[in-house]
Amino acid sequence: MAEEILEESVRERLGVLGPVEIIVGIPSYNNAQTIGHVVQAAHAGMLKYFPERRALIVNSDGGSRDGTHEAVVQTSLDTQDLLLIRHTLHPVHRLTTPYHGLPGKGSAFRTVFRIAELVQARALAVVDADLRSITPEWFDLLLRPVLEREFDYVAPYYRRHKYDGTITNSIVYPLTRVLYGRRVRQPIGGEFGISGRLVRHFLTRDVWATDVARYGIDIWMTTTAIAENFRVCQSYLGAKIHDPKDPGSDLSAMLVQVVGSVFSLMETYESTWRNVLGSLPAPVFGFPFEVGLEPVPINVTRMLMAFGQGCRDLRPVYEEVLSPGAYRDLMSCAALASDKFALPDEVWVAVIFDFALAYHRRVIDLEHLLKSLTPLYLGWVASFARQTEEETAAQVEERIERLCLAYEQLKSYLITQWPARTQERRSEQ
Amino acid sequence: MKQLWEQAIVEPLRELGHQAVVSLSSLMGVLLLILLGLMVGWLAKELVYRVLRLLRFDRLCDRLGIGSEVGRLGLARSCSYLAGQIVQGIIILAALLAGLNATRSQWTQGLVQRFFLYLPHLLAAIVILVLGALVTRFLGRSVLIAAVNAGMPSARLLAGLTRFFVMTLVVVAALDEIGISRTTIIVTFAILFGGVVAAAAIAVGLGARDLARDFLQSQFRAGPKAEADNTRRHL
Repeated sequence: MAEEILEESVRERLGVLGPVEIIVGIPSYNNAQTIGHVVQAAHAGMLKYFPERRALIVNSDGGSRDGTHEAVVQTSLDTQDLLLIRHTLHPVHRLTTPYHGLPGKGSAFRTVFRIAELVQARALAVVDADLRSITPEWFDLLLRPVLEREFDYVAPYYRRHKYDGTITNSIVYPLTRVLYGRRVRQPIGGEFGISGRLVRHFLTRDVWATDVARYGIDIWMTTTAIAENFRVCQSYLGAKIHDPKDPGSDLSAMLVQVVGSVFSLMETYESTWRNVLGSLPAPVFGFPFEVGLEPVPINVTRMLMAFGQGCRDLRPVYEEVLSPGAYRDLMSCAALASDKFALPDEVWVAVIFDFALAYHRRVIDLEHLLKSLTPLYLGWVASFARQTEEETAAQVEERIERLCLAYEQLKSYLITQWPARTQERRSEQ
Repeated sequence: MKQLWEQAIVEPLRELGHQAVVSLSSLMGVLLLILLGLMVGWLAKELVYRVLRLLRFDRLCDRLGIGSEVGRLGLARSCSYLAGQIVQGIIILAALLAGLNATRSQWTQGLVQRFFLYLPHLLAAIVILVLGALVTRFLGRSVLIAAVNAGMPSARLLAGLTRFFVMTLVVVAALDEIGISRTTIIVTFAILFGGVVAAAAIAVGLGARDLARDFLQSQFRAGPKAEADNTRRHL
């Protein structure tokens, strides 16, 4: 029998509530400043767009000490009467429970998924608790494709500043697209709509005690949904406003977590991506209106210095990890004068594929491998920033599209170099 | 005259012949043992090599970083082959020692006895050196990558110092194990100890910074850690 992750008291309360059609999950940790707004938006969204359906808002909190729990309770008390009076047919319930097990977003998601399973929810929306730009419409956009169009997984589609989400743009989106053949623009966006069917499928998977649950739950969900042929779409949510940060800060640990999760999933779904050629768009719901975006300041000079130092000091590591061609091209780029520096798409793609191959072959310690990607990634960001300095959002998207095409063109290299499990076994014998 | 002939010529010749036969049989025995050792050694090498390959020993060694070191130093074509060669060497050596012992001379028997008394120390020293080299390489690379990512201009120097101090500690420990210049080693160790502590501090501070932070947070701050979520927001 599977381990029960919910406390008895929570299960009793769910039993009293009975079946619920929609769950809104809000994982949180020290989000007292913003969670009130998110809960309020969720309430309003349920009451405005799904007044005829029973809904339950679940805040799965990771042990906040800044009054997040109280903020949720208070927000609901403040707004529930007003909203109920005006819109609701069924009251919107609220449940706050700390999640258990491995600390992290994955544990929070598991708690929400289990609740959704117990109340036999048809659709689930999960949103981050630190959002400032969330509106009630987001819940309509995340849930309606599941409830009325029979999609299983709704990924977010945001307008972002060109220097925001650079790991997504340079690695996660192109790699997910080229591997699994679906163009999901924000695979690790943080807001998702999920069908009850897919929730139950997620719960059967044995990932909840692993690093995937701790660090890579977003990319795991997206990859699982695509690779296991669930119906995937995207919803245009406008701008995602959070505290933008120089992409050059705290990158090392971030790359280990995110890129490590993507590479790890490549091993899980090897037999799937080997047979995928090209990519298909995932349908987009919602009207793609233009929004004002907060600029993300970046320091190109500092990034170029980091890239230069990496190519100089980590040369022995790169020699071990990269193919001779990619290594030679990379060093040629590093030798360019600062004002002429550019990292061509083909070089970058070859670097990422070689890192994925080195990860699979365990060429060096995995943490060393992923952390040594940091200077190269900064080189890509610097090159991208230089190239897109004067470009509009549409032009930047075109540039990212060209990068994706470079990934697709070089995929055959990845396939031929990736040792198949059966071949590997045969050669070892 | 006949008695004199017997005592002076025939008897010594007979004794010489007897000794020659005994020596020759001993020599034959030694050669036979060595030959047997060579054959068994070769068979054992092949057996160990094939079994370890089946058990994917090479992949394990690659993951631990031993495989690349073996390749870099040109020791053998693979770790499993090297293991087979080591077993083969041990068997041949054992056969050689058994052969020497079979000659029943005091000198060879003393040599064999001393060798067997010394063998555990020698093996322990080899193990210390091999493991120490791996730890040195790991820590050196940890410091290098962390220092580069922190933008420290002296990253290579720091990594080199870390490798030097840790490897010094390892060599001192190995020499001490085989009993070479114990007094010198103790003095050297005392002098280098401060340096080694500094290297370890650098290694922990840079190489295992996240680990140390996680550990301290888990020890002194209740509740789950959220740094992963904090960084993910900016992806």
